Amino acid sequence: MLRSIFKSGINSISTHLLTSNNAVTQQVRTTFILRRKYPLELHKKNQKPRKLRGKHFNYVLVEDTNRTVKPDIEVVLKQFIHGVGKKGEIVKVRPNFAYNELLLTDKAAYATPENIEKYKLKEGEESQEEKYSSPYAQRTVNMLQNRVFAIVMNKEQPWVIEPWHVRASLRKCGYHILSDDAIELPQEKITGPDLQKQNKEFIVTVTINKMEKAKVRCRIHHWSTNPSDRLPYVYEHWLQDTEPLFPSEQKSNESSS
Amino acid sequence: MLRKLPSLFNNILSVNQVRQNARPLFISATNEAARKGTREKARKKKVKVEIKKVGFIPHNLRKKVRVTVNKHQDDSWKQIPQDDVYIQKYYQYRTFTVEDAIKCHQETHHPTMYNVPNAPILAEIEINMQGEKITRFVDNFHRMAPINYKFNHGEERTVLAFAKGQEYIDIAKKAGATLAGDGGLVKSIQNGDLSFNDFQFIVAHSNILHEIMPIRGLLKRRFPNPKNGTLGTDLEEMVQKFLNGITYSVKKDENQQNFANLTAQFGTLDMDVKHLEDNLASLLQDINKMRPKREGKFITRVYINSPPSSEKLKINPFVYVPEEQTFAKKKTSAKVAEEEDEDEATAAEDEEEVKEKKEAVN
Repeated sequence: MLRSIFKSGINSISTHLLTSNNAVTQQVRTTFILRRKYPLELHKKNQKPRKLRGKHFNYVLVEDTNRTVKPDIEVVLKQFIHGVGKKGEIVKVRPNFAYNELLLTDKAAYATPENIEKYKLKEGEESQEEKYSSPYAQRTVNMLQNRVFAIVMNKEQPWVIEPWHVRASLRKCGYHILSDDAIELPQEKITGPDLQKQNKEFIVTVTINKMEKAKVRCRIHHWSTNPSDRLPYVYEHWLQDTEPLFPSEQKSNESSS
Repeated sequence: MLRKLPSLFNNILSVNQVRQNARPLFISATNEAARKGTREKARKKKVKVEIKKVGFIPHNLRKKVRVTVNKHQDDSWKQIPQDDVYIQKYYQYRTFTVEDAIKCHQETHHPTMYNVPNAPILAEIEINMQGEKITRFVDNFHRMAPINYKFNHGEERTVLAFAKGQEYIDIAKKAGATLAGDGGLVKSIQNGDLSFNDFQFIVAHSNILHEIMPIRGLLKRRFPNPKNGTLGTDLEEMVQKFLNGITYSVKKDENQQNFANLTAQFGTLDMDVKHLEDNLASLLQDINKMRPKREGKFITRVYINSPPSSEKLKINPFVYVPEEQTFAKKKTSAKVAEEEDEDEATAAEDEEEVKEKKEAVN
């Protein structure tokens, strides 16, 4: 009799002890893929399987799903985003970036067939919002305007600066301009060699995708084929202040920018 | 009475008696060897490890861990530029046509800029030296690539030409051979008047072959043979090839065995663009002849450089050289399908027969 009371008592206490508030239980998605280090011994059909020994519980880790890199996901952009893409474009981005920057902020949606159809660019829309020619054009403009480029010209041979000189000099620095039409030199011709013009700055306007314009600072540097005739090396010449080649033009440029 | 023999005799015992008297212990060769399975395990462990000869490393560099970057750079993960003005570092390396690359170099070397219009044009070629097996690599090689449009390579080349008949000798001389002759020349070499070591290349017309035979032992490796291209009928072509050809040597990188890099001049900037393209094509095709029989690229990248400019302009070499090779696949009997050709089917049948024979033998 005591036993029955004891049992029921314990049951009632235990039910109270074990109940808790309904906490939000997150699904824990940790998966470790393992394989056996020692293979199991085979057994005949319709027979009991062989006894598992200590060595059979010896596993080798094949993959830790927490450590594997998640694949990029495709999203459809709802608006133009710098450095990503245009409106209606399907872009493949890293999952964290997609979730935090694009999906949560409602700038993009998952690339399901319905969404692709819904956010696809229609005929008339394209002409409206074309402030930017490409997602990377603004970055190129910024980089061109922040730097100073040296236009290397000969110290002995006579020259007149032409667009291809600027294009070749920029190509040496890793800035590729595919056509000379994108380069606009100052109105006045720059002739040389003229050591008075050494290190003087002039501004060249580069047009990207026939839309964005960047004002590129260029400095003239005279270079001689013969090493003994060359001008002395100036360390980090782009950090040093120099005079403009055309003072009046430069002033107007500075005031406008 | 025998018992009463003095103890001396007892002490002087023969060997046999000693043996007989000594208590026989069962002494077999004690098997001190371990179990067979244990012995085999120990034997497997003893597998010879090849000791690589590492050169002398000064003590302050010994413990440092070297950062190894794969020299076969892969930038396919980068985007392809869509704009007409772009920054190279964010995109895949720009690929020029050979014509455009040479024009770019001509721009920088123009009199108004660097003023070096006759600068040498070099091709920097990167090669994947992987052999047929993963652990084996293609051997280093040193070759001469024949070209159609000559340029001044700055090397002094001496060519000795053998031919029977005055017209042939004249052809050889006209082509630019340092010395040309017939049987008389052979005799002077045998006498010792003329040393063949003075000449880098020895070329011969096939009509004089049996007359050169006596000096075959002297010449050894340099004896003309058709495989090298030193024995043939067109003397002019052979002499020109060795005088004008591009010499290059391909050596595997010390740290990365499957990578090799070579730089060879194939012309000067003032040559015609089409001639330069042709020379480059000949050079690439000659390198391609050393290709191993495996999948994948052999020549991986080609840059066109021109000192004093430090620009490396990448070109697409697969216009002149095949990117991938195709091999006749090995067919097994199980894979014989209806679509296959008769040839392949018969080949499979042959293989089956061979297999059956092997089984019968076993």
